[in-house]
Amino acid sequence: MNEKKYFTRMGDGSIIYMTANEIWADIRDGMADAVDRGKIPPLSEEDLQKIFDIVTMPGGVVGVNPNDAVVTTSDSGSDKIPTKCGIPISRDVTAMIHERVLGCDSVDIGNPDYNYKTAKGIAKREAGILKLALDKTTIPLYYGAMPNLGFYTKPDGPVDNWAELLPLGKIKEALAAQEEAVEHSVRDIMAVAKQTYAVGADAIELDTCGAAGDADFLAALKACEQVTKTYPQMPVIIGMAGEFVLGMHGKLEYDGQRLAGLYPHKQVKLVEKAGASIFGAVVNTNCSESFPWNISRVCTFIKATVDVANIPVHADVGMGVCGIPMCENVPADVVTRADKCLIEICRLDGL
Amino acid sequence: MTKEEVLKMAFDSVVECDEDMANEALAQGDEAGIPPLKLLTEGFGAGIKHLGDLFGRGEVFLPELMFSTEIMKLAANAVEAKIGSSNVQSKAKMVIGTVEGDVHDIGKGIVAALVKSNGIEVFDLGREVSADAFIQKVKETGAGFVGSSALLTTTMTVQKEIEKKLEEAGLRDKVKTIIGGAPVTKRWADRIGADCYCEDASDTVDYVLAQLEA
Repeated sequence: MNEKKYFTRMGDGSIIYMTANEIWADIRDGMADAVDRGKIPPLSEEDLQKIFDIVTMPGGVVGVNPNDAVVTTSDSGSDKIPTKCGIPISRDVTAMIHERVLGCDSVDIGNPDYNYKTAKGIAKREAGILKLALDKTTIPLYYGAMPNLGFYTKPDGPVDNWAELLPLGKIKEALAAQEEAVEHSVRDIMAVAKQTYAVGADAIELDTCGAAGDADFLAALKACEQVTKTYPQMPVIIGMAGEFVLGMHGKLEYDGQRLAGLYPHKQVKLVEKAGASIFGAVVNTNCSESFPWNISRVCTFIKATVDVANIPVHADVGMGVCGIPMCENVPADVVTRADKCLIEICRLDGL
Repeated sequence: MTKEEVLKMAFDSVVECDEDMANEALAQGDEAGIPPLKLLTEGFGAGIKHLGDLFGRGEVFLPELMFSTEIMKLAANAVEAKIGSSNVQSKAKMVIGTVEGDVHDIGKGIVAALVKSNGIEVFDLGREVSADAFIQKVKETGAGFVGSSALLTTTMTVQKEIEKKLEEAGLRDKVKTIIGGAPVTKRWADRIGADCYCEDASDTVDYVLAQLEA
């Protein structure tokens, strides 16, 4: 008799069927990878059994008990319906749809060109749109964009391009360029924060932090510190770009801690120190591994993060991160399983 | 010193970015009777490969990696002088760029740096590079590898265009195409006919080196 095989997916979204033994092997391998890289504790046997049960659970969509439900938010939410789905509606209407149709607990109003360098030039207009949306909704609305230090490099920005200088061996110049970009970024974020605060934003989000490396993360931490000091009534949300901070500079520090190479359980402590109110943890999805491998790895990292965090952790569970496959239309079977694992095993605060 | 100890010293000199240790390993290699190319590949080369793996794990950072590349160059120059060949350093050529319409070049820069540190000659075309520019550079340089990066789902299509234009130019069988970027997957590589999808910079190095050994 053939061994029973369970429906699941690869990290690129393609469907595969795995035996129980294969799933268990991937669950253990995924966890071991996280333990090895993050130098964090492994999950318990009970946690691993729970992952197996959730992965193999019958039904396309799974859920949590009502008492276990967590809040949800939508990063760049105001952009997804018009830009990604091609439905021509304004951003205030997308906020209303998130609130009244999708049941979202909060959403950001961000520009389709989702970075603070762009937003700074149109900050008053962006604040006007946020104000309009705030007037029409009751859920928390915040302004969101990326620090995205890469946008400050030539030819699109003022500083030399460290991604080109480093391969050329121009180390000193590359480090100086990154340090200069941090200052530009913090200034732009503060300019946008001023306008969004003026219209009553419920928060401001620094999203996809660290996308351009450790200097990018430093810009977010410095900006967070300044925003919370200048506008104490406007909370800051910091969401990450990847599971560890890329060492494009390598020597930058915040609060005496080297930023390069930090994994989520260490990132969250600096985010707390900078004064942020919510931490958006990220663990990368490996497209070449299965969902059981990925979600086990994700749970190991996120549980270690939640265990040490003193602020709410809202994992970024979207395309290509936290176990969700890298594909345009993310499959509900995997999304709901990833959510259930994160909520029930990691005791996550929000999605 | 035993041969194993010398190879380990060469390995460590790259990992620890220690020029004096590298020179010592080169001298000891002669005394121990290690063929220069073996010292280069199994000692210094293994060190740079190990560093690439550490970079992928967030344990080593790009500037340190680039310093170690200089140690690798020093070793390759010395080996070149010993064996009288000028073809030691450049194992192969690779054209790389971020595709047209896409300004996200940080990941591409990391790949370029890591590939270069492994002795591959890299022609970095920068960002917003058209398919035609990739083809033109392959013609100019005779590169055997073409790497393209796309961070946006809307720009991934240029990777397909590169495949098509290589075919039209009669170059498709002469190069190995490598694609990468956040939304790119093996499924996309299979669909457009690219030779390889690489998850990250280390993966790219592994693929290129494996192709050279094949």
